[in-house]
Amino acid sequence: MRIEEEDMATVKFLCDVERCIDCGGCVVACKEGHHVPVGVNRRRVITLKQGEPGEKSISVSCMHCADAPCIAVCPVDAIYQRTDGIVLVSKKTCIGCGYCFMACPFGAPQFPAGNVFGARGAMDKCTFCAGGPEENFSAEEKKLYGQNRIAEGKVPLCSGMCATKALLAGDADVVADVYRERVFKRGSGVNAWGWSRAYQK
Amino acid sequence: MAGVANTWGYGAMTNSLNDIRHAKSMIFIGSNATEAHPVALQHILHAKEVNNAPLIVVDPRFTKLAAKSTDFVRIRPGSDGAFIMGLINAVITNGWQDKEFIRTRVSGYEEMAEVAAHYTPEIVEDITGIPASEVTRIAEMLATNRPTSLTWCMGGTQHSIGSSITRSFCILQLVLGNMGKSGGGTNIFRGHDNVQGATDMGVLADNLPAYYGLSDGAWKHWCKVWDVDYDWIVGRFPAKEWMNKKGFSLARWYEGVLNEEEIETPTPIKAMIQWGCGSNSNSQYNRVVKALNMLELLVIVDPFPTIAAAVTKTDNVYILPGASQYETSGSVTSTSRQIQWRHKVVDPVYDSKSDYQVMELLVNKLGFADEFYKNIKQTPEDITLELGSGSLTIGYNGQTPERIKKHLANWHTFDIDDLQAKGGPCDGDYYGMPWPCWTTEHPGTPILYDISKPVAEGGLPFRNRFGEERTYESSGRTENQLAAEGIYNPGSEVLGGYVEFKEVVPGTNWKTDLSQKTIKDAISRGMAPFGNARARCVVWNFPDKIPIHREPLHSPRPDLVAKYPTYEDKPNHFRVNTRYKSEQNPDLVKEYPYVITTGRMVEHMGGGAETRSNKYLAELQPEMYAEINPRLANNLGIRKGDMMIVESPEGSKIKVKAKLTPRVDEKTIFLPFHFAGTLMGESYVKDYPEGNAPFTVGDPANVVTNYGYDIVTQIQATKDGLCKVTRA
Repeated sequence: MRIEEEDMATVKFLCDVERCIDCGGCVVACKEGHHVPVGVNRRRVITLKQGEPGEKSISVSCMHCADAPCIAVCPVDAIYQRTDGIVLVSKKTCIGCGYCFMACPFGAPQFPAGNVFGARGAMDKCTFCAGGPEENFSAEEKKLYGQNRIAEGKVPLCSGMCATKALLAGDADVVADVYRERVFKRGSGVNAWGWSRAYQK
Repeated sequence: MAGVANTWGYGAMTNSLNDIRHAKSMIFIGSNATEAHPVALQHILHAKEVNNAPLIVVDPRFTKLAAKSTDFVRIRPGSDGAFIMGLINAVITNGWQDKEFIRTRVSGYEEMAEVAAHYTPEIVEDITGIPASEVTRIAEMLATNRPTSLTWCMGGTQHSIGSSITRSFCILQLVLGNMGKSGGGTNIFRGHDNVQGATDMGVLADNLPAYYGLSDGAWKHWCKVWDVDYDWIVGRFPAKEWMNKKGFSLARWYEGVLNEEEIETPTPIKAMIQWGCGSNSNSQYNRVVKALNMLELLVIVDPFPTIAAAVTKTDNVYILPGASQYETSGSVTSTSRQIQWRHKVVDPVYDSKSDYQVMELLVNKLGFADEFYKNIKQTPEDITLELGSGSLTIGYNGQTPERIKKHLANWHTFDIDDLQAKGGPCDGDYYGMPWPCWTTEHPGTPILYDISKPVAEGGLPFRNRFGEERTYESSGRTENQLAAEGIYNPGSEVLGGYVEFKEVVPGTNWKTDLSQKTIKDAISRGMAPFGNARARCVVWNFPDKIPIHREPLHSPRPDLVAKYPTYEDKPNHFRVNTRYKSEQNPDLVKEYPYVITTGRMVEHMGGGAETRSNKYLAELQPEMYAEINPRLANNLGIRKGDMMIVESPEGSKIKVKAKLTPRVDEKTIFLPFHFAGTLMGESYVKDYPEGNAPFTVGDPANVVTNYGYDIVTQIQATKDGLCKVTRA
């Protein structure tokens, strides 16, 4: 039993910025697939230096941190981490205080939109398409968290949709191997980081 | 596409999206594939990363594709042809041309080279704004990284000289010897999956299905396929002569309604069906709206009520809820000429009906169901069979519904790199049997004009479509138009050029022999049914026989208008008089100083009726805007987020939000063309059927795109007009 647990994967997202083309496919796949309300962004694409040489885009969501600051600050222990590393929130426990929002370096925690004095409501964020604490595939789970594709043995919607395979999701070791292989292939010539500076090309 | 077809036979993408993985360099000109064809990017980035292929982007804007480029070249809108002729000249003057390829497979080269010689790097710099040193540098980059995959889209075609520009692209690839090769080719990306299929099926004003033209022979051929009496078809026209004349084109159909310009038609257009068409993708949109309101009958078939439904104030507009692609099935053709079966996911929702059902009800009501459905008992399989049996020109006859479905069911057996099935039930076939697929045993043609493979295995020479011999006007030289000795596909009976196959069955040729004996005879002899010829640099049936630069009708450079004037006016151009010389006023730039160009955003599609009705896409792109360079905006007193007025020389105006961005230079305004639903502050939201207005509306860009049409195809020139900009 213990050996199996140690063998279990730790899951991670990795967005390959050389590949991300800012198409928003990941964002729309997530929203459409989980019926996320307009205004709540479990994932978004950030573009830097738009319209200039060096323009780069990256798709960002909850990073499912190994040592997640949101878990550390949550006053009601609504946020928890599965053995595979996926960080989830229990919406029934969450009091909507927003501490996690302050603690998160990535702006991942989302709160339903309301009026100016509106209550924040329970926190919503990327579930790695793994649903929530409710029973797998239950109507309650679907209503509160959306699909549970991990329990179905599928990859998250966002990376499944990614047209350029920029957004990788899964076992961190496998993701790292895929990315490392890509970097090796890009390794020489025009695509290598620093090449143009080193050789004045 | 006319420019391409007139060069070597077919007007389609020559290689495939996947084949770009083999490119050693890539050049995109007038294509923002990142936003218009995001799925293709996986192959483009593969070539960039794995082959170290330079990715050259030539565009007036620093697009999202430019963000992924290794080399970005900013070009003045409308000067693409001059840049390419400059590249050709640089290649030739440096001796980088593929001499053997040109000697054996190209015609009219010397005459073309003489014209290209005018486009020195310095002259190109003056016309295009691209530094002379860049012209030579890019030419060298292409010469030293062969093969090059060349891609263009509407940025290359939507100009008054669009058909010349596309030919210059083809000639560049011929001179570099990049045709008929894996990793090379002219890879013209078409839009969503059935744009190529729609074109193939003759949704054009000058063609019957499969590019048969409008001659009596073409009509008789299709009458045989449809199994209807030719005289009965003739009887459907007011007079026989109209069968052979081009119709109004999509670009200017409204002139046939308005009846203000000089038009040539038995009667002005009174009724119209818009079937899956966003009317706001038409330039001169104010005139379009006027025409829509003058129609005696307008029928809109669409999953979403389009803007045409909202802007019409008359009572005679009918909206038929068409089903989406998920609610019906049938064959579709991709940009790579691949045919795929699309299965139905759900039955049509609410009151909607599939296109087949709508068509059937219409045909029954019009009373010619017996003729229409003679060969069609099972929909849609029999439709695919019928159209295939007649579309011999482009080899649609080998792709039976059974084979198409088998490919889809076994898609995992096909190789991502060369598209060929390795083992399994489709062993040896190329995915989707890219046309031409000559017989039901043929694997499809993944790369056009590739003489390294036998014809039976997907190889082809250039098509013999333009005779056997030609004397050029400019030089007086006579040249054989067939391929040279030693140029043939493996297994060919004739070891050199040969003419197209005819009279195998008396009175027919490979295009009209419905028994397909002619095609089979050619294949069995290792030869191409359409002959083995040279690709031509001189297109003697075009107004510019060799591509030259001509200034846009509305040019920002009066000095260049004098040097490179446009064409004479063209009466009866797709039935309507079209102004060129009389429209080109060199002083226009004084009052309208900025260049206006339009394009895609990744979130929205076409006229946007569908995508603006999706709340998540509307959330990502909620507003119409104009891209303006921060320096120009500051000079005009326009701050970020201000509303600004864009006015065209025709006097039409739109009010849009200013998006300050260095994507455009200081002389250019960019507008995305997907919006509609408001005009200068007036909203049409209330005019949509209740509850059916899109989530986001805005002023249509095409209200201010300028007058101007290609001299051959009449495609609208929306990429190189002029405008005036003020703060609202």
